[in-house]
Amino acid sequence: MNAKLISPWVGLVFGLVLSCGLSFFFGESPVQVFKILTTSFFNSKFDLGLTLFYTTCLIFSGLAFALPMKAGLFHIGSEGQLIISALTAAYLGTAIAPFQHAASVAISVFVIVALTLLIGALSASVIALFKVYKQAHEVVVAIMMNFILAALATWATVNKLQSPTSQNPETALIGESFQFLKNDFLKTYFENSPVSVFLFVALLCCVLLYFIENRTLIGAQVRAFGQNPHAAERLGISPKKILFLSLSLAGVFSAFIGLTEVLGNTFQYKIGFSPQYGFLGIAVSLLAQQNFIGIIGSAFLMACLHKGASDLDLETEHMTRDFSRVLQAIIIFSVAASYYIFNRKRDKS
Amino acid sequence: MMDSIVMLLLLSTLRLSLPLLFAVTGGYFSEKSGVAQIALEAYLLVGAFTAATFTYFTHSLAIGYLSAALVSALVGQIFCLLVLKLKANSVVIGTGLNLFAMGLIPIISKVIFNSTGSTPSLDIPESLSLAPYAVLAVTLLTAFWLSEKTNWGLQMKFAGEKKLALESVGVSPTRRQWQSLTVSAFITGLGGAVLSTALSSNYSPLMSSGRGFIALAALIFAGWNLPKSLLVCLFFGFCEALQIQLQSNATISTYIAAEFIQMIPYVATLLALLLTKSQHPPAELK
Repeated sequence: MNAKLISPWVGLVFGLVLSCGLSFFFGESPVQVFKILTTSFFNSKFDLGLTLFYTTCLIFSGLAFALPMKAGLFHIGSEGQLIISALTAAYLGTAIAPFQHAASVAISVFVIVALTLLIGALSASVIALFKVYKQAHEVVVAIMMNFILAALATWATVNKLQSPTSQNPETALIGESFQFLKNDFLKTYFENSPVSVFLFVALLCCVLLYFIENRTLIGAQVRAFGQNPHAAERLGISPKKILFLSLSLAGVFSAFIGLTEVLGNTFQYKIGFSPQYGFLGIAVSLLAQQNFIGIIGSAFLMACLHKGASDLDLETEHMTRDFSRVLQAIIIFSVAASYYIFNRKRDKS
Repeated sequence: MMDSIVMLLLLSTLRLSLPLLFAVTGGYFSEKSGVAQIALEAYLLVGAFTAATFTYFTHSLAIGYLSAALVSALVGQIFCLLVLKLKANSVVIGTGLNLFAMGLIPIISKVIFNSTGSTPSLDIPESLSLAPYAVLAVTLLTAFWLSEKTNWGLQMKFAGEKKLALESVGVSPTRRQWQSLTVSAFITGLGGAVLSTALSSNYSPLMSSGRGFIALAALIFAGWNLPKSLLVCLFFGFCEALQIQLQSNATISTYIAAEFIQMIPYVATLLALLLTKSQHPPAELK
């Protein structure tokens, strides 16, 4: 079997074992913790639905990291983009009031989705702007943008859009007619859990990207640029085009997380709704080795673990839901390390 | 009246700049040796929690500071091992380390104090209120001496500018980077200790609130120059002091929201990147 293909999975297993072993030091049984982590996602239909909701968000954030990666860019700005686009969707959902006609509602929904995705794309292309014209490092700009966008969203929520009926910092619910996903068949089937039809949008995006990457000219250009920017430039591939395209598309995927939350789950913007999906996407993408179809599997796996970790609060004495972050971190570490260990062995043989 | 406000503002600027000054010095050692450092936040959190815990149990501020630096340097070894030995990407591992610190501290806190929230409050005697400034002075002087006056400092910078040159004189760049990253985590850990023992009197969750990134911003703003970046930290500390003043002053805060002042370090850094002709990041920085 190809060592390169199995290396992340060995890393994952090692990371899982290490994390569960760690729980021993907190006075918990590692076997018990492992059992909770790996089985709690199908305790009930609702739990499975919740896991599929996390899967949806993690697919999008995995794509938002993996796509620029193909062009050789480290995109860690997803968190800010998803926050500002969720706020945009929530604001538009309260500001637009369609007539009682199906066509009017449909057009309004289209406008909300289009504008939200546009905001996502624009906020991500700021990074490309700095990269192209100032040769600034994309990671630095992304970090700054994350903080600026989060502060903007907090300011707008607290000072302009605060729901008058709530004590928590959140916007009002979007219009009744935009809450049509409340009765969506997935939600009904999974006993009203947060999952929605956006799951299929996420799956479709993966398949579409896989096709574009392997079957179209632009896909080949992005890959060529990622492998050797200078050679690609000599072949007449415009770096400007590649940078703006890959980053703004990544912004679109970040914006989809905002839509999944606002149109498909809570129907409002809550400060701090994201358990840092933007950063969890890094683990998802690493595990799948930036393979767009593989991201579906790794997102589901990470979603199961995330769901499992959030049940540790109730099921154990000392472990809390914070363990999800420890788990993700250790998986990032061990997967990143396994790349080196396996490739080194292969180079020798 | 006006004088006292200005005085108060200056004093709190100095106080609030403290953790930033430590973190930026830590970040300097890492970035200058050619390793991008976005895990300063993790070191601050680890340092803050360790200092609060050790000071609480031993009633000694000195042990608190020392343990914060040592534990932070220990956590830094994870970063070194993965980035230098196992050739993982420093941005990925840095992000991972931040998640790691954010997740692990509440669980350890739950085991020790049976609470995921704040640690019990410390009573630090008034006579020790100048201690952080003394530690800062010693740290800064040592850092200057180390980076400007010693052979080690020169080699550390060569690791970040031209690895080959260093190898050709028989010094391992990886070894210099490893040492430099450990110094980086050690100093930033001290900044964390200041956070929980001087700026407040206990550890509260996520109390670093982005200061690691503000320090990184200061370093980039100053073009990877240590003296300049210390000045930038003072400016960012001033912004924070101003914001706190504004929050207690209802009339002004209706004109300028606190969130916009929080943004200043980040916006200023982006503007600096946009407006200045050329930044000089270490050539091998990645």
